[in-house]
Amino acid sequence: MNFDARKYVIIVFIITVGLIYIVRLFFMQVIDDSWTLRAQEIAEKRKQIVPPRGAIFDRKGVKVVSNRTYYNLMFIEDEIKHLDTAAFAKVLGWSRDSVAIRFKAIVKEQGTYRDKNDNYRKKPNYQSDRPYAFIKEMTLEEIATIAPHLDKFPGFYEEITSMRSYTYPNGANIFGYLSEVNEEEIKEDHFYRRGDNIGRAGIERFYEKELRGQKGIRYIVTSARNNELKPYMDGIYDTIAKQGPNFRLGIDILLQEYGERLMNGKRGCIVAIEPSTGEILALVSSPTYDPNLMVGNRNIAKNYPKLILDKDMPLFPRPLAAEYPPGSIFKLLQSLIGLQEGVITPESGFPCNKGLVGCHNHPSAGNLMDAIKFSCNPYYYAVTRRILQQGKKKSVFADAEIGLNKWHQYMMSFGLGQKFDADATGLRPGLIPNSAYYDKWYGHLRWAFSTIRSISIGQGEVKLTPLQMANIACIIANKGWYYTPHFVKSIGNKGSLPQFKVKHKSMIDSKHYEPIIEGMRRVVYVSGGTGGRAKINNEEKIIVCGKTGTVQNPQGEDHAVFTCFAPMDKPKIAIVVFIENAGFGGTWAAPTASLMIEKYLTRKVKDKEKEKRILEASFKN
Amino acid sequence: MRQGEKLTSHLDWPLLITYFLFLIMGMATVYSTALDPDHPNLFDYSQKYGKQVVWLGVSLFLGLMVFLIDSTIYRKFAVPIYLSTLVLLIIVLFMPPINGARAWLQLGGFGIQPAEFAKTGTALLLARYISSLNIKQQNLNSVLVANAIMVVPMILILLQPDAGTFVVFTSFLFVMYREGLTYDPLVLKLVNMIPGIKFKQTWVGTHFIPIMFAIVFLCIVTLLLSNNTITFSFLPGVSIPGFFGVILSLVVFCLIAFIFLRFISTKRERRRITTVIIIAFVLSASIASSVNYLFQGLKKHQKDRIELFLGLREDPNGEDYNRNRAMAAVGSGGLLGKGYTNASVATIESNHVPESETDFIFCPFAEEWGFIGTFILIVLYMFMFLRIIMIAERQRSRFNRVYAYSVVMILFYHLAVNIGMNIGFAPVIGIPLPFFSYGGSSMMSFSMLMFILLKLDSQRSHVLQ
Repeated sequence: MNFDARKYVIIVFIITVGLIYIVRLFFMQVIDDSWTLRAQEIAEKRKQIVPPRGAIFDRKGVKVVSNRTYYNLMFIEDEIKHLDTAAFAKVLGWSRDSVAIRFKAIVKEQGTYRDKNDNYRKKPNYQSDRPYAFIKEMTLEEIATIAPHLDKFPGFYEEITSMRSYTYPNGANIFGYLSEVNEEEIKEDHFYRRGDNIGRAGIERFYEKELRGQKGIRYIVTSARNNELKPYMDGIYDTIAKQGPNFRLGIDILLQEYGERLMNGKRGCIVAIEPSTGEILALVSSPTYDPNLMVGNRNIAKNYPKLILDKDMPLFPRPLAAEYPPGSIFKLLQSLIGLQEGVITPESGFPCNKGLVGCHNHPSAGNLMDAIKFSCNPYYYAVTRRILQQGKKKSVFADAEIGLNKWHQYMMSFGLGQKFDADATGLRPGLIPNSAYYDKWYGHLRWAFSTIRSISIGQGEVKLTPLQMANIACIIANKGWYYTPHFVKSIGNKGSLPQFKVKHKSMIDSKHYEPIIEGMRRVVYVSGGTGGRAKINNEEKIIVCGKTGTVQNPQGEDHAVFTCFAPMDKPKIAIVVFIENAGFGGTWAAPTASLMIEKYLTRKVKDKEKEKRILEASFKN
Repeated sequence: MRQGEKLTSHLDWPLLITYFLFLIMGMATVYSTALDPDHPNLFDYSQKYGKQVVWLGVSLFLGLMVFLIDSTIYRKFAVPIYLSTLVLLIIVLFMPPINGARAWLQLGGFGIQPAEFAKTGTALLLARYISSLNIKQQNLNSVLVANAIMVVPMILILLQPDAGTFVVFTSFLFVMYREGLTYDPLVLKLVNMIPGIKFKQTWVGTHFIPIMFAIVFLCIVTLLLSNNTITFSFLPGVSIPGFFGVILSLVVFCLIAFIFLRFISTKRERRRITTVIIIAFVLSASIASSVNYLFQGLKKHQKDRIELFLGLREDPNGEDYNRNRAMAAVGSGGLLGKGYTNASVATIESNHVPESETDFIFCPFAEEWGFIGTFILIVLYMFMFLRIIMIAERQRSRFNRVYAYSVVMILFYHLAVNIGMNIGFAPVIGIPLPFFSYGGSSMMSFSMLMFILLKLDSQRSHVLQ
């Protein structure tokens, strides 16, 4: 029998297997990506290098927010061999139990997932071959007591991390703070990994994307025992971490520090702005806290509950988010609108008719400047009535509607009743009522000036944030325009954001500002003025133009407010001081503002008496 | 050797060159896998590549010796060679176990695996026995004797235990099949025991071996694919149910086989081929269906076992660890590979794939050279196998032919199982990749197999055995 044909069976067999293998290899290596991903999972560590955040400097170049090196005590469970818990706890200065509790807490922190290969049972995300932080964010002093002993505890090692450090214990509400990202933030932005920090408030939050810099990624080949062997593919896919750019703020940290000191023992705020640029020079929110208290998750865990439960709300950025009735400083705007509308002239006089509204004892104002000086309430009833009720419609209600909406437009042009497009978070719009607002309250054509007259003197429905109040001073100092108030002067080599380079103009002609400024000067320098305490007693003759305000407060003592700018001819600083429950504006707010101006313009305060009086005052009950 | 004839005359150069190509590729892969940056010298004896260079040298020296010796001695001494390998296989059973197997014989500083050399011994004795048979002697006796020659070392190897080499020994079944020694007499005897049946020959019995292998292969592929839906990353939205895919591949394979066989067959055979292919298709389709049906009916834990064995079940850190790592290494090579010495999964240093320089050496090769590399590698092996079959078929002596078929089937088995376990087509049983894997015994034994074949072939014209 001839079996030669059987060679074909063998040949076909061999070729078939060869072909099948080639097809399979083509599928595995070229078409299907999953094995490549699997290999990366197995053999590559994608090591993220988190750069330090951008440093922040004040307007004079003082580094106010920098980075400090901290240390995480890391561990990999698989590499721990016979951990002597007692000795380890002793090195840490912990109890034995707390070491065990910490291990359990770490596993719990990682959460669980449903394993689809195992009937969707809950399994921990924790993996014993991955590094986790046993203790986070230790200072050099803390790690120094532990590090020398670490070689006795294989599986534990130290890792460097960087956290914020604040040169001055001031400006907490400006800078904000950082804390660990949550799950949602990780899902939303793939930049973040578990354990990364994110800006939570203030500049840190607003400029998060710039400040965080660019993460570097190193691909490292790791062995089955999780040792790092070499850069993957000689590092051709690696990227270098880039620190965020340096930030230059408009803040003058010494002025900020001084403001916070002056406001000690008081609730309220100070906002100082450079009128020519819109840069915020100081933004004091009192009471405040030392920003160093909110550095690192350990500090936050300790201090945040205290701060959030404090009834004086130190975490609440009052200058940006508190909405107060402006009180008498609102009269400046009423005057401007009256002049622009032509319903008054600088020479207009109205009697101080206390039958209309209460006023303090002063002679009737024969002109606008004196009305400002005296802060005469009946005068501004008359002015506002003229603005609102111009007699354009027969019906007094329809007339008031037209008048109010016109008035509302003017107010909007001062940046009121709307949120500034500033570089801060948590800004509030305040409230400037329009006809729709009152229609809702009283019904359409059911209200007139007499119904809403308390807005004349900045009471009633009108609400402003202190930032808006300060901005009013800027507009007056600039005679009709402002830049949106902002913190950041420049980011790296770039200037401030484009929206801060747009000049906003008020609807008032610049000539109408002259009598107002003169009135504000009289407030401070002419006898009978309400803000005489704002005078600066020095030879440089810095002329302060200001306006006092006393905000009626049904809950308690009135709030004191003073808004001003200086010097009169070339304004360099516009400022508002708002002190809750301090009573009359001229008594406490005006001198505080003058101290701030003196500090900013001359770098030192000569009138120690005045300073001492303010420092010692307390209006907290 | 005849007077005036050069040593290299009648030498089969294509085979020898392929062999050397494999040596170079293998050496390069061992070097890159085991590379220690502190000892980059290829000839550094403290490193695995340094040792492999020595093994290469020894193997080539042995090859030269083989060439100097007249080829007739292999037939003459087949029995002593076979018996001495058996003795070594027995001795090794009394050696201390290494990695759970008594497979190593320590000679001085070197370890030798007798199982590797038993393949050569068995091939020689089988060749001698079959060549001594009368062509008409296809009786039960000769089948049993031939099987005994194969089975005795197999049993000894199983005692070590060494599942890989055990499986490789079944390659001799194909050799016997080629020579007509199939289980036909056995099957006939069994079938004829049924009253009223008197066959002279059964088709199943004659082709028992390839049919058996085809069925096993078909079953595995069916199980692998039937549970999945086949999707294509380049054809989004297109998906084929797994079982349909199996039937489709069967149709394609039958068509290819049909076209191929029509080319090589005579007119007379064509009708028969058509019938055979149709029967084969119907049979395999029904086998695939029943395997699929049976599998679906299995209990969960039984399914689990099978799925795990086939690599269908992800258990990356458990029993499936090696295969999962190996497949990741191979699959991550991509089209062009990561580049020489750039393997990240399969190196001794990273150790994600264990034994990456021996049994899993295909991993670093595939990772570094990608599909281009693995394609060339398999094509080169295919070329080598077909070349050896060609050599086998041109022998005048039946001894030479049987021996040559033994060589090709041993090599083919090693390739199929070794690469199969790297791509999820075979269970993980440790056998080396011929000419590639680090290790003296396998390198020497494969080289001996090859050089004896080359020597026999070069003297085919003047020896009639």
